[in-house]
Amino acid sequence: MEQNKEMTAQESLQLISESFNKSRKDILRNSAKYFVLWGALLTVTSLAIYLLWHLTGKPQWNFLWFVMPVIGYPLAALIGKHNKTIPQNEVSKMLGGVWSVFGAFAITLSAIAVSLVPMHVTLIIVIIMGLAECMSGVLLKNWPIIIAGFLLGVGGAVFAILVKSEAQLLVFTLGGVLLLVTGLIMKLQYK
Amino acid sequence: MFPKLDPILHSELRLAVMSILAGADEADFTYLKKQTGATSGNLSVQIDKLTTAGYITVEKGFKGKMPRTTCKITLAGQNAFSSYVEALKEFLSAGNVR
Repeated sequence: MEQNKEMTAQESLQLISESFNKSRKDILRNSAKYFVLWGALLTVTSLAIYLLWHLTGKPQWNFLWFVMPVIGYPLAALIGKHNKTIPQNEVSKMLGGVWSVFGAFAITLSAIAVSLVPMHVTLIIVIIMGLAECMSGVLLKNWPIIIAGFLLGVGGAVFAILVKSEAQLLVFTLGGVLLLVTGLIMKLQYK
Repeated sequence: MFPKLDPILHSELRLAVMSILAGADEADFTYLKKQTGATSGNLSVQIDKLTTAGYITVEKGFKGKMPRTTCKITLAGQNAFSSYVEALKEFLSAGNVR
């Protein structure tokens, strides 16, 4: 790229548009990696707990949920370190914010439910997860993600009420697959 | 008639840097270099010009043990960039092609 090249108006606008879009794509493609990571982790964890609970009949396997952030956060930090030169924009920061808030709610409510006040954690978490997914769709201006988030929240809530014990965990498997698909959609959208 | 354009922005490399910074919170030197394909020396000179004009701020620091130079667009830079884009659009909408 030359600094003294005489540009026409069209060339200038084209350069602005290309540079702006290229960095926007980089930023959002980078965000997609976190969706894939947490989606894969949620799918595997929920399926593992479901199978272990189903096979042994012991709900104590639910404590494995607390292993998920222990694995997920260091891996997320590793992705961040690997892509440290890629900047952030308002959308990527808000996406990070929405899912961090979701994580804080989910971990805190689960801990309270286990130790202090018993509550229907699956119902609560699936609703806020659907909400977070919906918000992600709004930020990304992507209707399939908005609709999927809405269906996860509303459908998951109904499923969590109707289905008992370990089968409830399958709603999180669906949520995990949804996160994975969101990440893959973002990768394709910002290719 | 071609409108009077900001000479600081009407340069290929500086305009590319400003376009990237307009869409990101901040960007580090390595990223700008990779995106623009410019040499380190050339990019440094153009960044200095944008800094002198008050369009961007440059912060030198460390991330871990690695030195890191971060550039960020200022409010004056955002205004100048918007005016520049508006001027170009006006010119093109008037039926001009150059």
